Amino acid sequence: MAGKTSFFTEISRNKRNSILLVFLVFFILAALVYVIALALAPGAILIILPLAGIIIIVHALTSYYAGDKIVLSTVKAYDPDPTRHIFLINTVEGLAIAAGLPTPKIKIMPSKEINAFATGRDPKHATICVTEGALEKLNRQELEGVIAHEMSHVGNYDIRFFMFVAIFVGLIAIISHIFLRSMMFGGGRSRGGKNDGAIFLVIGLILAIVAPIVVRLVQLSISRKREYLADATGAKLTRYPEGLASALEKIGQVNAGKMKISEAESHMFIADPKKSFADNLFATHPPIEKRVARLRAM
Amino acid sequence: MIEWIIGGIVLLLVVIIIYYFNKIIGLSNRIKNSWAQIDVQLKKRIDLVPNLVNTVKGYAAHEKAVFTQVTQARAAMVGAKTVEQKAEASNMLTGALKSLFAVAEAYPELKANEQFKLLQEQLEGIENKIAYARQFYNDSVLEYNNVIQMFPGNMIAGLMGRKKPEQYFEIAEAERKVPEVKF
Repeated sequence: MAGKTSFFTEISRNKRNSILLVFLVFFILAALVYVIALALAPGAILIILPLAGIIIIVHALTSYYAGDKIVLSTVKAYDPDPTRHIFLINTVEGLAIAAGLPTPKIKIMPSKEINAFATGRDPKHATICVTEGALEKLNRQELEGVIAHEMSHVGNYDIRFFMFVAIFVGLIAIISHIFLRSMMFGGGRSRGGKNDGAIFLVIGLILAIVAPIVVRLVQLSISRKREYLADATGAKLTRYPEGLASALEKIGQVNAGKMKISEAESHMFIADPKKSFADNLFATHPPIEKRVARLRAM
Repeated sequence: MIEWIIGGIVLLLVVIIIYYFNKIIGLSNRIKNSWAQIDVQLKKRIDLVPNLVNTVKGYAAHEKAVFTQVTQARAAMVGAKTVEQKAEASNMLTGALKSLFAVAEAYPELKANEQFKLLQEQLEGIENKIAYARQFYNDSVLEYNNVIQMFPGNMIAGLMGRKKPEQYFEIAEAERKVPEVKF
């Protein structure tokens, strides 16, 4: 059975890789803080770090607690009809049972593209939203695969995971920014002899310019790993990976990639709502062909 | 110095024991909960049946054999108490309902009836949920058995008196066979 893998293996692999990437971000943050502390007066970092921290955490907590309501009202989501949408409701309830989660709230959004997203800070406060296009154009097994993928985002606490990553990335961006600004206005003060300070100054400058870009790329890589993870976990829920594979193929053919969704919100959609499925380092989602291939190898 | 090291090791052991103790309890509770979920769905199906039978009777009153079959299977389901009784009665009811729908095939007006279509959809939803609940139950059993059989959980499980692995919910041979349709 060459090339065959189980969803259990896929799940472990993607979980492990995404966590390793988070450690990478954390180390970059630590390195940045350390070098800057040595380049500037040590006391400076004690001011910069908490300041940056407060800004970032306030922003993150806002999106954590209110983010789902904001997104849902932006896309004009509405409640499903208990008779017309009985299959959708039954499917979400059934998959919640399979995942051992409380049933998320269900919403529909009026887009003709095929897409779906999950939002909410934890399984008790989760919502799954599908587009009208998905309801019209997908068959039952495909819709089931899509919902299973979204349910997996909820069960894997991906929304919370992304928030923590965003905090680290934001911290790095702000600290780098503040450091570069202070360089422009005052230059650094060295702790030891003049030479020591200069080296750390240079390293700090390089880090401050490069780090924000690097961690942004790492953040996108994490996003892609968690998408693969949601695919694999979804396959475990339905025990039928072909359903989602077939849905993704349809999405690749049908979607124009023109939904009005901001970059920050596009994480939780099953397919990239804005770009046309570019296969590059800047994509939040892995390319559709690769996702289909992995699903069909399970 | 040596006291610190020993203290550290003891602390680590205590943490590990607490972790596995809680994990085993948690997984055992999850198994009980997922079993209760199966029961919830089985009951929903029992409650749906009279409505369904009456709707079909409205169009096909003379198909007495299949109505008797369904009613008897439902009664058996209500009376079932043990796990084996429930599994057997559930298989019987699934078979009887399949026969009922097969009979309904011959009545196009019935098939077009909105109430019938809704009940059919609801029943399919419940059958899927029974399947999902069983799947989650089996997944929970797998996780529990893994923890109590693999190292180091097995040692702590032994201390807790929990060495016996849980049973999977297997489908009976009868259910694997496709039910016959008698017109």
